[in-house]
Amino acid sequence: MDTLQFLADGFSVAFQWQNLLFALVGVIIGTAVGVLPGIGPMSGVALLIPVTATITSGMPTSAAAASSIILLAGVYYGAMYGGSTTSILLNTPGESSSVVTTLDGYQMAQQGRAGVALAISAIGSFCAGIVALIGLVLLAEPLSNVAVKFGPAEYFSLMLLGLAAVSGLAGKSMTKALIMTVLGLMLGTIGIDAVSGIARFTYDQPILYSGLEFLTVAVGLFALGEVFKTILEKDEETGAIAKIHRIMPTKQDLKDSAIPITRGSLLGFFIGVLPGAGATLASFFSYMTEKKFSKNPETFGKGNIAGVAGPESANNAASGGAMIPLLTLGIPGSGTTAILMGALIMYNIQPGPLLFDEHPEVAWGLIASMFIGNLMLLVLNMPLVRVFAKIIETPKKYLLPMIVAISFFGVYAVQYTTFDLFLLLGCGVLGYLLSKNDYPVAPLVLALVLGPMIENNMRRALTISNGDFSIFFTKPLSLVFIVAAAAWLLVPLLLKLRGRKVIINEEG
Amino acid sequence: MNKKFDRFAGFAFLLVGILFLVESQKISDSAYGSSVGPKIFPMWLGIILIALSARLLYETFKYKSEESKKERLQYKKFLIIFVSAVLYAFFLEKIGYVVSTFLFLLIAFQTVERGKMVYSILISAAFSFGVYYMFSELLGGSLPGFPLL
Repeated sequence: MDTLQFLADGFSVAFQWQNLLFALVGVIIGTAVGVLPGIGPMSGVALLIPVTATITSGMPTSAAAASSIILLAGVYYGAMYGGSTTSILLNTPGESSSVVTTLDGYQMAQQGRAGVALAISAIGSFCAGIVALIGLVLLAEPLSNVAVKFGPAEYFSLMLLGLAAVSGLAGKSMTKALIMTVLGLMLGTIGIDAVSGIARFTYDQPILYSGLEFLTVAVGLFALGEVFKTILEKDEETGAIAKIHRIMPTKQDLKDSAIPITRGSLLGFFIGVLPGAGATLASFFSYMTEKKFSKNPETFGKGNIAGVAGPESANNAASGGAMIPLLTLGIPGSGTTAILMGALIMYNIQPGPLLFDEHPEVAWGLIASMFIGNLMLLVLNMPLVRVFAKIIETPKKYLLPMIVAISFFGVYAVQYTTFDLFLLLGCGVLGYLLSKNDYPVAPLVLALVLGPMIENNMRRALTISNGDFSIFFTKPLSLVFIVAAAAWLLVPLLLKLRGRKVIINEEG
Repeated sequence: MNKKFDRFAGFAFLLVGILFLVESQKISDSAYGSSVGPKIFPMWLGIILIALSARLLYETFKYKSEESKKERLQYKKFLIIFVSAVLYAFFLEKIGYVVSTFLFLLIAFQTVERGKMVYSILISAAFSFGVYYMFSELLGGSLPGFPLL
């Protein structure tokens, strides 16, 4: 069967009524998550894993996994979309990936063109979603065919590259990012060692034998950390919400944004494919590119529609592109995709090159559903922009405690132990303290997910080579990955030494 | 950047690294003939963490502490909510999901912002009963019910 046949099968999975419903619920919740300041795509996805796990509990594993991942991915790209709403209407980005949208988006709103800005970001997001989808279809097969030939040495080096990329770009201090990565790897070693069956760092506590549940750690670090931050730091009064007058963009608006959207989509997609470089970086790059190519760059920051269209397309395309390393190589490139991967592993489905052979309905179903989900976003958001803008007004008073209660429910419903609830609270405090002091938590979660896989592949490779570490350098592909990993860490360092400003990715 | 926190964190991570290095030596060697047992990976992680925290401590001596404007943190609110969350976790299995969730939400709502008692009671009740009913009755999940009744 060729790719098109697989894609058709994927659509037949995505068009099952329950999966259509899942995609719809996913993108709606995602948009809400994006709109609400305080919950990012990462905590949104993490919070919903337990809920989807229960809803799908009656289905066969593979179908259940497909349905959940369709919903969770919907939350991911829905949030990218929703993030722009607050940027434009309130000048407060709902996500870090929409920070640049505030520059021109809010200005447009001031000029009474809020509706147009929202509409153009919806259209841009849709086009970007399609570009990402086509890229996914074209690249998925060849990449997974290459990846099938990988041995443990190649996998080890590739995952090292993933970690290096995320640490190299996250946060202000690379030392801190690396510390978080190592800490995540350490937490991953707690429990029974999968290779030898020996208990490590458990200190005879039976609860620790299965290791620390990644879901608990992720929800605690992101969702609760965010809640604690909002409770502790009384935030500034939110400004007045801009009125939405006219939604449909004019012909001139469409003409002005057509090229930025195309450029943003392509740029965003390729940035998204790179591990570590997420949607935030993509939107920044796109904004700079648009400014550079524009005939009148001085209008940027004063309500130029290209400054909304480009970055908004780029961040959506990047979230699609980020799916490629996850699905084909089994390596998440960002915090959110790490959580998606954790969700797949919970269903005993290992993302990676074999995913397309063993569970084509999951892989292609997800790809097809992303197309449908983007269509839904476009159809939903054009008329419903006003409704979503209302969500911003949800009082914090009810929102914050409810997030805590949902996290409790989610963790308890999956784990059935109060130990995990205490761990959740501990991680919440830790998450707040760490991110407040510029210790990025995304690398920690990523390392926690990748840790056991890295270790297993390392040991398998070393067993093959009889303990000779040079195996990682003599295999050509592995060497390439290691050199790339080293470059990823060293280049920003060198640039910093030379006094250059380095763009960092705070979303993770 | 907060120098005090960085120093403290640097020491804490240093201790964790040393702990990992020492404790990893106690892990028994692999049972089968492989030369790479279960202790290699944690051992190296310990060594790397020690090196990184040394680097972090070194960095804290280099940069100037930019004492940002002192923001007033709402410790009282946070502590009330945190303690009630701990109690919530502690009592969840003892007094059941609905009662504990209801109480936690009510306390937390009123802590974040006083007033509108009726709304708070209604929303807490709707959430706790709603989640319990949906999850336990409709989806067949299991949550601690009403052990006291």
